[in-house]
Order: sequence, then C-alpha cells, then structure tokens
Amino acid sequence: MVSTDDIGAALEQVPDPELPVSIVELGMVEQVEVANRAVVVRLIPTYTGCPALPMIERDVQARVADITGIDHCRVEWCYDPPWTPDRITEAGRAKLASHGVTTPQCGYVDPNHVPLHTSALACPYCGSSDTRLDSPFGPTRCRAIYFCDGCRNQFEHMKPR
Amino acid sequence: MTMQDMMKDPLANIVLMHADDKLMLGHMQSDWTGLAPILEEDIAASSMSQDDLSHALVLYDHLAARFDLTADAIAFERDAADYRCCDLITIPDEFDWAIALTKRWFVATLTALGVDRLATIDDEDLSTRCKRLIPEQAIHVRHLSEWMIRLGSGTEESRSRMQAAINTLESDAGMMFEPPDHSIDPVDSFCCGREGIFQEWKTSCEDTLQRAGLSANLALPPESMIGGRRGTHATHFTDQLAELTEVRRAEPAPAW
Repeated sequence: MVSTDDIGAALEQVPDPELPVSIVELGMVEQVEVANRAVVVRLIPTYTGCPALPMIERDVQARVADITGIDHCRVEWCYDPPWTPDRITEAGRAKLASHGVTTPQCGYVDPNHVPLHTSALACPYCGSSDTRLDSPFGPTRCRAIYFCDGCRNQFEHMKPR
Repeated sequence: MTMQDMMKDPLANIVLMHADDKLMLGHMQSDWTGLAPILEEDIAASSMSQDDLSHALVLYDHLAARFDLTADAIAFERDAADYRCCDLITIPDEFDWAIALTKRWFVATLTALGVDRLATIDDEDLSTRCKRLIPEQAIHVRHLSEWMIRLGSGTEESRSRMQAAINTLESDAGMMFEPPDHSIDPVDSFCCGREGIFQEWKTSCEDTLQRAGLSANLALPPESMIGGRRGTHATHFTDQLAELTEVRRAEPAPAW
C-alpha cells in the first residue's frame, strides 16, 4: 500500500523548471490523496500566467505513476488557498538565496499604493540594504528585478502577495 | 446550458466584461513585444499582456464550468455582439506609447476594482479565483501608475504627449462604465453599480494624475450612449476579433 508520504517523497524530486528548488520547497503542493492505485495531487500555481505549469503537471504525473503500486496520477490546479511566498520552505528559501533570488519575509504584504515597494531588501550577494526595485516584471511571472547599489549587482526577488 | 444562457446571466455579464477587456488588452498590447521604449519595459509590457491573457483564462474557466462550455469556446466562438469589452481597448494606439500606456492604465485601474468586488461575491469558485488575481493586478496598476507619473513629470514633451493621450481617451474611458446590458436586471449594483465603482476609479485615477501633474475630465457617459459593453462595438473591433480568432477558425481543435 502506497502512502501519501511515499507520494510526497516522489514530489520532492519534481523540480521547478525555472528555479533550483522542488515544487514541494516552493509550497506548490496543497494536498495528496491516494485511493486504491490512483493518486490525485492538488497543486497551487505560484502565478496564474506561469508557462511552466503544464510542464510541472507532466513531471508530477510521470514521477508519481512511476511508483510501484500506482497506476494513475491526476493533477488538479487550485487557487484556494492562494499561493504566497510564505509557503516557501526554509530549505527552499536558502536555495533561492544562494541562487541570487531573495524572498519576502513571512507574513509580508506589499503596501497597495504608489510608489512601488520602497522597503529595502538585503542584497543576496553582499548583504547591503542599499537596493532598489528595477522592474516588478522579471524573467518569470513570480519574480521582480532589483539592483544593489552596494555591489552593483542585479538580483531577483520573489514577488510578495 | 448554452452560450445563450451565459449571455442572459447578469453575473456572467460582469465577469465577461472584465475577462473580455483582458482578452482584448492582452491581444492588442502584445503588439508592443520587442518595441517598448526600454528593455525593462519590453519585458514588463509583454509580461502584463501574458498576465492579461491568463487572467482572462482564469475567468473564462469559471464561466466554462458554470455553463458547461469550454474556455476556448467562450473566448473565440462568440458573435461580435456577445463580447462585453469596452471600446477604449479597441482603439488602435498606432504605436504611440502615451496612448498605449494611458489606455492600459485606465483599464487596469478598473479591473483591479472589479476583481476586488468579485472576490467578495457569494460564489466560492469565482471569489477564490478573483482573490488570486488581486495581487497580480495590483502590480499592474502600480507599475502603470509609476509610468504615468514618470512621463507626466518628465520633460515638457513627455508631459504634453501624456496630456494629449488623456484628452484623446478620456471620454472612451468613461464608456467603460456603460452598464453591460439594458435587458439585464442590474441585480449587481454591488459589482457594476456605475456610481460606486466609477467614483472609486475616478478617485484612484485622479490621485495618480495629480502626482503626475496631469489632468483628466472623467465622467460617466449618458445612459443613452451605447457601446462595447452592450455589444455595439466600434467598427475596427470586427477586424481585431477576426485576427484574434483566425487560428481557431482555421484549426478548430489545435493541439500544441
């Protein structure tokens, strides 16, 4: 009998196609159900327009269906609860930081007014807080681009909710 | 359940209003991919278009489940008169950044208020979806507002071109608040009640315009004025819709 823990272990092997973390570390996995030989995995998209979602879905199905005792795996995308960077695990945060991607502190909510994001972020390379937003639209839907005036490096930041 | 049932449903019309705005906005503004004024904005404008299309999909998916349709059928297979997008979006920008930016900013500000309201509505699927859209839409509004301020308080040329764009678009911006359909009971005064949402939109726009040193005459259109929200679209909409649906018509069931 395959347990949800076995499925969870398999999901830890599913990478995000664009970041050096697994979908578990990113907090995308909401629920796993095992009934007989079929599995339903409920995933939360980090961003609605993320083009990597179909790839992640295929990877999850392939990994889970590979487990002995499982014949079928279905992925359900859900929006409840909405994904926020709070869902990223400690290990995930550490891996992102070493990759030059910072994450908002848990519970942080971006103030909803102009001007955009004025709070200083620590640069993942030199630690300086002399940083500023370059563009809220980065290489992927979930990341913004910042610039550090301390070490003159660009870095990325997971968008807060 | 059919497309006709959907078109007769008051709440569906409100959802379509925002979804169709997003579909057309994403479609039209993707023309700027590769052409936006600076590299960062090229990425930003393309990202916003990508968001717009995926936001439309999130809303169409809700309607598809509710009316036993598919999102693609809703997006691509309606008659022109069944689209609820506003005329403002369909005005060609002729690759004038001031026009493109001002148009998008007017619409994005309204969409943000619309999804805020829909997120509190007594429909679990719809409200859940809209809750997800709120933070994504807020980033659009803030980014576009920053541009309005940057160009409004920039050089004399940038200021005058922004003011000219506002003057060109302000009356069509008011037409975004045309009620969706006369024949539909406006049950949803909460969601589309013109006065309330219009005033909030106006206040939000004027706040940014004041920071930008720009001004606009933002007013509700007379009830008698009929436009895109009720399916009477400007003439160029037919061509835009034909372009948007070309692949779907050529290949009804494409697989990527």
